[in-house]
Amino acid sequence: MGCSAGREAVQSRGTGLESVKKHIETNFNVAQNAILHILIVLVLSAVSWLAHAAEPVLRVAVLNHSPPMSYTDPAGKLTGFNVEIMHALCEAMNARCEPVSVTLERVVDAVAAGEFDFAAVSLLATPERRARVLMTRPYYRSISVWFARPGVRPGDGRVALVKGGVQYRYGTAHAWSVIPVENHDGIATALHQGTADATLLPMATALALQQDPRIRGLGLTTAVLRDPELAGDVCLSVNPRSPELADKLNEAIDLIKRDGRFDRINSRFIPFRLQ
Amino acid sequence: MDDDRSRGLEQTSGATPPVIAGERIRHWPAGTVLAGLGLVFAAIAASLVMWLAVDQRLVKDVALQLHDQTVPWTLERQRLARNLEELRFGGQSVLTAGDQGRREEAFFLIRVLAAHPSMGDDPRVAVLVAEVESFLAQIVSGASKPDMARWEALSNRLRLLADDLSVEGGQRMTVELARMTDAMNQARYKLLFNLILVGAFLASFLVILQRFLIRPLQRIHASLTTLDPHGPVPQPAPLAMAEIHVVEKAIVRFHETLRENEDVRRKLERLATTDSLTGLPNRRHFMGLAAAEMARAARYGRPITVGIADLDHFKQVNDRFGHSAGDHVLQVFAALLAETLRQTDLVCRYGGEEFAFIFPETAPEEAMRLAGRLRLRLADRPVVLADGQVLQVTVSMGLADGAGRGLEECLARADQALYEAKDRGRDRIVVVEAGHEGVLMPP
Repeated sequence: MGCSAGREAVQSRGTGLESVKKHIETNFNVAQNAILHILIVLVLSAVSWLAHAAEPVLRVAVLNHSPPMSYTDPAGKLTGFNVEIMHALCEAMNARCEPVSVTLERVVDAVAAGEFDFAAVSLLATPERRARVLMTRPYYRSISVWFARPGVRPGDGRVALVKGGVQYRYGTAHAWSVIPVENHDGIATALHQGTADATLLPMATALALQQDPRIRGLGLTTAVLRDPELAGDVCLSVNPRSPELADKLNEAIDLIKRDGRFDRINSRFIPFRLQ
Repeated sequence: MDDDRSRGLEQTSGATPPVIAGERIRHWPAGTVLAGLGLVFAAIAASLVMWLAVDQRLVKDVALQLHDQTVPWTLERQRLARNLEELRFGGQSVLTAGDQGRREEAFFLIRVLAAHPSMGDDPRVAVLVAEVESFLAQIVSGASKPDMARWEALSNRLRLLADDLSVEGGQRMTVELARMTDAMNQARYKLLFNLILVGAFLASFLVILQRFLIRPLQRIHASLTTLDPHGPVPQPAPLAMAEIHVVEKAIVRFHETLRENEDVRRKLERLATTDSLTGLPNRRHFMGLAAAEMARAARYGRPITVGIADLDHFKQVNDRFGHSAGDHVLQVFAALLAETLRQTDLVCRYGGEEFAFIFPETAPEEAMRLAGRLRLRLADRPVVLADGQVLQVTVSMGLADGAGRGLEECLARADQALYEAKDRGRDRIVVVEAGHEGVLMPP
């Protein structure tokens, strides 16, 4: 009996050692697998980082508070027709883009100064702008729409205009009583608050303004001003020292207009086809 | 054989060179011909490539036009059609709006769309859109009440125009694709034609190569391998390249030289083997032939007889009538030998007025008869000298059986028999048979 108990004790000791050995082996295998996984993740991360680093990073100027072209959605994400077009173009060019919000007033100056590689801002291709920055091929054509309180005709009353826009230049050139604002959202505010009686703004932005609940009850009348200065080809502006980027953007515009990406973005933000 | 040889001699002895066919034809150097053919081929190939390039360029132009103009134009047409549909929906909203505010709101889109520059791109669109805007503007302003029938008409026109715009792009693309297909088909036919033409040119080139280069080379090969100075003169091809022609002319000259050398060789051989006075084989030549005959007879155990003859009193003929008369006698006797003896018999002028004989396949008895016939013919044919005098010439002859003996021994025995004949009074034949030496035969 005693011998038997001794054997059991020995066996028990023996079983305990094997258990420890197995435990150590198991831990070792787990550690080995963990190290392997970490190495794989590190390698993949490095590859991803290298691939990412290989892509050029383009600084892109975009507007904010200018629906439906560029605005911040309720989720806090910068979106809009021009913002999504920018993403599509960058994807087509295999480039990584970094959007930076600016005011319309600064767009041409900043691009001309090389602060940005290009601006995803709809600019009418005026000779003055062409002289300062490179312009891509037109990606649609625009017109300007007059919004005014009843009885206010162009040239009458206080006209809220976004600084830096063709409409602002037009208003100041025609000695209108201009209320300068920073962005298109400011126009709705000015009209709503009564600091302005009218405004002149681009077609697409006019569509959004018309839907703005702040001005719906104002009974504004609308008219299309057919002055050639206020209509025409809309282009993107490009750093004048990057003609090759302008070429790439032209190719990308051509591509997304062919493969349907342009029209899909168009449908998301504007009720008719931009042409 | 002698006739052939004499003909060969006549050909070579004449001063006229062999006539070479095609001598007056201009022969072009192979390098020039090949370079010329290469240039022609290159010119043809270049022309064909340019011919094909026209279609390729057309395909490229159409493809570029399709890519750069038609596809964008088609997409713009479809966008315009979509905007017409938007216009139609907007018009419907204006007409069905519950209040003036909503009506004006719906009309705002109409106004913006109608004012957009794209609506002026197509006159049909511009007219219809202006008509629609005017119709809706009157309703929005309250100038007129909604006329649904007219709106249905306008709406249908908008829909149809949108349809037309949608398919126009496809039609234009179809036309251009058809142009491209035609050009590609044409290019394919041209390519096929070009391949046939190139094939024909290569075939012609091979024919020219075969006819003017390879076949002449084969002919040269055949001429050189079968070149025979006794054969006909090789005839150069009338149409061959200059290099080939030069080689063929060289072969003709080589053949001529070979034939001249052969003639000279024959002359020398004749001089070396014949006696110049009588035309009979000389002694040296005779000894060679005789030794061969003796050996053959000994090998096969055949009978053979050796003889030596001497004209009687020939010294007196020379002394009395002169050496020319003696020479004439020798010539007459040699001619008589040629007439009398068999073709298989050998004879030569052994020296002076002595003649040696070999009678193959002939026993001494038969040789005795032959010699007797010779003696009798000589007796019947006196020699007429140049001055008309007639000489009766006789001959003494010794014969020896040659079976189983050497030539020199036989000649010595025949010579001994000849002395016996002289001693016996001349004009007679003495034969020494084997084992019966010294037996004298009566004249």
